[in-house]
Amino acid sequence: MSIECLVLVQGQGRRWGKAAWWQPLVENASCLTVACTWATTITATTQTSLVRSLSRGASDFTTAISCIVITHLCRLVLCSHLDHIGALPYFTEVCGYHGPIYMTYPTKALAPFMLEDYRKVTMDRRGEEEQYSYEDILRCMKKVIPLDLKQTIHVDKDLVIRAYYAGHVLKPLPNSKVLGAAMIYAKVGDAAMVYTGDYNMTPDRHLGAAQIDHLKLDLLITESTYAKTIRDSRHAREREFLKAVHKCVSGGGKVLIPTFALGRAQELCMLLDDYWERMDLKVPIYFSAGLTIQANMYYKMLIGWTSQKIKDSHAVHNPFDFKHVCHFERSFINNPGPCVLFATPGMISGGFSLEAFKKWAPSEKNLITLPGYCVAGTVGHKLMSGKPARINLDKDTHIDVRCQIHQLAFSPHTDSKGIMDLIEFLSPKHVILVHGEKPQMAFLKERIESELGMPCYYPGNNESVSIPTTKNLKMSATERFITSCAAEQGKLRVHKGNLVCGASMPEVIGSAEDVDVAEGILLMDKRKAPKILCDDELVEVLGMERHLVQFEPMVSRIEASVQSELQRAKAADLGSEGNE
Amino acid sequence: MADPDVLSSAYPAAVSSSVRKHPVPLDDSLAASDGGPSFAKRPRAAAELPAPGGSAASPELDVRALVSLTTGIYPLARAEALRGLAEVVEKADASCSVGSGIVECSYESAVELMRDDDEGVRLAVVRLVGACAQKFSATVDVDANGYGDLMDMIFLQLSSMARDMCTQVRIEAFSALGKMQRVSEGVLLQSLSKKVIKTDTMCGSIINGQKLPPKLKIPCAAGVFSHGIEDEFYQVRTVTCKSLGALAKFSKQYAEKALDLLMDMMNDDTRAVRLQTLQALLQMATYGCLSVQEKHMHMFLGLLVDTSALIRDAARKILGLVTLPKLQMFKSAVDGLVTSLEKNPEEQDVYGILFSIGKNHGSFSANIAKHLAKEITMASDGELILDKPRIKALLIVSISAPFSNDKHKKLDIPSIIFSHAICLLGKISCALGEDVNQDLLLSYLCHKSGMPFWENRSISAEFGESESCNVQKMEIDAHMENPAKATKCLDETIVMQSMKAILETVEGTWNMRMSCNICEVRTILRTCKEELNVLAESSSGLIGAFLSFLCEYLDAIQLIIEIWQLIQLDNLYTFGLTSVDILLEKLDISIRRMECCFAGLNRELEVQVLELSLIAHLFRLSNIGVCKVVLGKLLWVINHLEGLCADGSYELSDFNGEIKKAFNDDLTGVNLISNIHTLFELFHPKPTTDFGMLKAITAVLQVSDNNSENPLLYVCGLPVGVSFNIFLRNISSHHKLWICMTIDEAEVQGALQELHYWFTWKACPMEKAEARTRWIEWHTGMWIDGDFSLP
Repeated sequence: MSIECLVLVQGQGRRWGKAAWWQPLVENASCLTVACTWATTITATTQTSLVRSLSRGASDFTTAISCIVITHLCRLVLCSHLDHIGALPYFTEVCGYHGPIYMTYPTKALAPFMLEDYRKVTMDRRGEEEQYSYEDILRCMKKVIPLDLKQTIHVDKDLVIRAYYAGHVLKPLPNSKVLGAAMIYAKVGDAAMVYTGDYNMTPDRHLGAAQIDHLKLDLLITESTYAKTIRDSRHAREREFLKAVHKCVSGGGKVLIPTFALGRAQELCMLLDDYWERMDLKVPIYFSAGLTIQANMYYKMLIGWTSQKIKDSHAVHNPFDFKHVCHFERSFINNPGPCVLFATPGMISGGFSLEAFKKWAPSEKNLITLPGYCVAGTVGHKLMSGKPARINLDKDTHIDVRCQIHQLAFSPHTDSKGIMDLIEFLSPKHVILVHGEKPQMAFLKERIESELGMPCYYPGNNESVSIPTTKNLKMSATERFITSCAAEQGKLRVHKGNLVCGASMPEVIGSAEDVDVAEGILLMDKRKAPKILCDDELVEVLGMERHLVQFEPMVSRIEASVQSELQRAKAADLGSEGNE
Repeated sequence: MADPDVLSSAYPAAVSSSVRKHPVPLDDSLAASDGGPSFAKRPRAAAELPAPGGSAASPELDVRALVSLTTGIYPLARAEALRGLAEVVEKADASCSVGSGIVECSYESAVELMRDDDEGVRLAVVRLVGACAQKFSATVDVDANGYGDLMDMIFLQLSSMARDMCTQVRIEAFSALGKMQRVSEGVLLQSLSKKVIKTDTMCGSIINGQKLPPKLKIPCAAGVFSHGIEDEFYQVRTVTCKSLGALAKFSKQYAEKALDLLMDMMNDDTRAVRLQTLQALLQMATYGCLSVQEKHMHMFLGLLVDTSALIRDAARKILGLVTLPKLQMFKSAVDGLVTSLEKNPEEQDVYGILFSIGKNHGSFSANIAKHLAKEITMASDGELILDKPRIKALLIVSISAPFSNDKHKKLDIPSIIFSHAICLLGKISCALGEDVNQDLLLSYLCHKSGMPFWENRSISAEFGESESCNVQKMEIDAHMENPAKATKCLDETIVMQSMKAILETVEGTWNMRMSCNICEVRTILRTCKEELNVLAESSSGLIGAFLSFLCEYLDAIQLIIEIWQLIQLDNLYTFGLTSVDILLEKLDISIRRMECCFAGLNRELEVQVLELSLIAHLFRLSNIGVCKVVLGKLLWVINHLEGLCADGSYELSDFNGEIKKAFNDDLTGVNLISNIHTLFELFHPKPTTDFGMLKAITAVLQVSDNNSENPLLYVCGLPVGVSFNIFLRNISSHHKLWICMTIDEAEVQGALQELHYWFTWKACPMEKAEARTRWIEWHTGMWIDGDFSLP
């Protein structure tokens, strides 16, 4: 029995400087799990190959696939990839898959919005006819079964799945941080595997670290986006950020923090609020109106997915009710004196953050903090790529940039240390790396194999990997066998005890050689459960007589006894297939 | 259950669980291990087994039983077995061969289970490994190299456990890491950095002939601490910070890098973590391995103005200990302290910190002093406001320069600083320490600022006061010579000197009892007594006992003077309880205490006490008239005194002689009463300073497990066991202990009928430290009826 792994083609385009990412399909003899992220996509060209490889002779997807598990949301509205579409509605509504679909609660809550935005974007950009409609999305979402953390679900009689908290996942897209990501544990019979999806091993201020039990695994499929990088501590970045902000406001300057609505804004806000509290600063922190409403609703709903500290404190007060944060009115923008402002959107591509930027950039007292990534063409991107003295918005408007600029680096995905830690903790028998660049994956594979001694694979598109799995066999033992074993061990132990005491050499006790071996015969019958017997029981069980072989120094006698021996062996062959 | 043989045989039952389904006749050694449903409890009892007493018999047997249980199939049983092993290991004496064997084999079985599926087992593994590591490090000298590598390996193993998914395991692992010793620097440095540091020495080191398993190469320690401080749970972060600080004393390079990490923790959102971080820094500073750099200053200055008083306090303490390499940093630290003082003017201990930071950086503070002197001279009259915290702070820093330890540089502080500092006398003396005398400091400051003050001071005050001043001066001299050392235990000779001075004062005061106002005399005596008390508290042993004896003596003298005053005023016979009666009673008690509470009174001291009791009896006679009982006591005292001086080596005082004469002349005692004035004149207190082998007898009774928060629980009508600890010091075998129990007056009648108590006591072998101390534990049981609180 083995796990078969098939990697599907997923787009040919380059994304953020990385080669196309790979998604796995895990197949077992009887059932098939598609552990896919939202990004598992089916393009027109790959669809046929997908159908061919998935269905394996079955007439449709429903019979071929036991269930679909969505580990986390990945794509964002701003995605600029033309050749991807959200796969799920297409799969269910167009391809006609009717099996169960599982998602975590936050994923399910946010999925329809994401999908709809996604559909619009792809339609706009592609200029093609839509592959599914809004109604398709709604219908699709109705089929989704929500999944809670650590909830065990028996999908069918063989397949069991369970979700584990995967920490916060931060996609390389600007400022988007999505909670609700899960690692999926799937077990078919005795074969068990974990598919990680995206995960993070280091917690931050508002989302916790990935958490999983010690499991006996045959296979671990882990993402390896950052297979080679090791991130430094977030504390240093926080310290630099606070220092810069504090310096700016104590010098009477204004701080502009362009962010997106969710995730990063909350984290920074918690950091600043806490600092303000400690330092007893009176400078106002503003949140532009849209931010708080969305965020609070979002986080209150999903408090179970945040970090321990927030879980602990939310019973007393809502941790997202910031003490020093107040709402911003548009008229405040010209107010004198220092302040801190959170404004959308994150890349100063327009909207309120651009408005504030226009006003504040010309003063060298002020500070703009930039996120780690900005899309080319936005003001943010221009600021990041060298400090320009002047930015031309359009033909008529120029902004003189004299303010200070502080860059906030992000911590997306888990780093190679995190991957290694997870693998070491889970200690699976095999590891498959997906979702990364080939050279880096090769590097990580080397490390895993040399340091942890586990076979590791990183199959390419459309490649299959076959992994042997464990098979547990239940067997009973006869009373006499157990009795004799126990008696044997008891004697051995007493004997040893005397030896140790007599020689007064306690170094020997409990050493590794202390393994007791019991001898018996394993009887495997096709009609009955396997059984372990004592030597002398065998004859009884088989219902045969005991033949005595006596050797005499005469050739004829030997021949006779060989004959009888053969007879006995034949009889034994009937029932037993192996012995130990 | 206590038989180790039976226990060891529990192993087969654990291995083949199916035994319990088939209870079959087994041979003798297995008969006990039926492996029934109570199986899970079995190792629990086993874990308790090695508790005191049991382990002495044969720890190997216990260990073997426990080791075999660790391979069982039930996680709870495995965890309990490991816990049991940890208990044995903690009690084991690693220096002997048996002990080290136990530790080694426990460690081996723990390592086997490091990757166990069960959290509880992993937790127990970490604890056991931590305990083993401590034992290993204790025996390190046996084979320095081999054990050094072993310690590294344990460190790495614990590090890999510190990335566990279970919070509890992480907490335990980090605290175990903090207790590690003798870890090599390379491994320590690796634990701070996530990036793998390449070292040749560590790879493939061989331990006791075994090659390192591939899992335990250095990378698994990579950055455990950086992970620890980023942990989601503040408990983990707290422990990490603690361990980071604790390990800093082993390597300078490590300390520097650990400081970087710890500085980051100052922004943590949990106050407990921040406080723990500061504590770790303080620990590092005390060990002298805290080297603050410029990039850290921002954080320190932020801490000084933190809203939490605890944080501010801790940050200040650290600043008071560190050495700053640059003048700029020093200045910013002083500025930060000043800002903090301005924000929180109630925190006066800032001055102390300013003083010590100035003292630590002599040349820097001299620099500050120069600038300040310039500022002072530049400022015209009235412009400089001394009351401003800033000026005060800078003055304190300037003043501290001469106290600094870098003597090689001659630091000349402008005298103008000293003259301005005079008005900050109180603050400076606070900064110097509690025991510093202000007068002396004043004289020092005056001397430095060139003002004649102390030398020409006319001693107009009462000599008693000036004497006590002198006494203090001696103490302060000691302080000033060595200001860095806060000497709590005063030097013996200084104590003796001050004691003599006090006693002289007392004699002098006795002489002025007639001429002066009684109040004045009383004040002087009281001051002397306070002095003695201070001395007594800071001394111990013979001197301590003698000082407390002297305290009693002074008490008696004071009472005598007061009684005498009253007798002089009102010599009439009165009825009922008067103040004289009360004072007499007090005097009696005081004398009795001197007699009974001290062992080893030499003859001189005994005579003194007897003389006091003579006076007391005399007073009593004069108060109540002729009384046979008192006369009898008087006679006994006189005889006793005679007996003491019989061999002629010690002469009876005039006072004794006169009383004896008067008593012999007139046995009725009327003569005594009429001559009381003349007799009293003859009495002179001559306290001796020769105390021989004086010891204070003390008895302390403690009721264990009973305080206001956790009161002893009892149920009315049921017997209750109350454990007392009674500590007796300096008692001899002929002393008898009288224990009197009183239970609430109101209930005593009824209750006493039902009150039965019994004592079981066991005397512990005397310990070396308190050879003369006997320790008796009392278990008292009593029946209690009614509702009242226990004594």
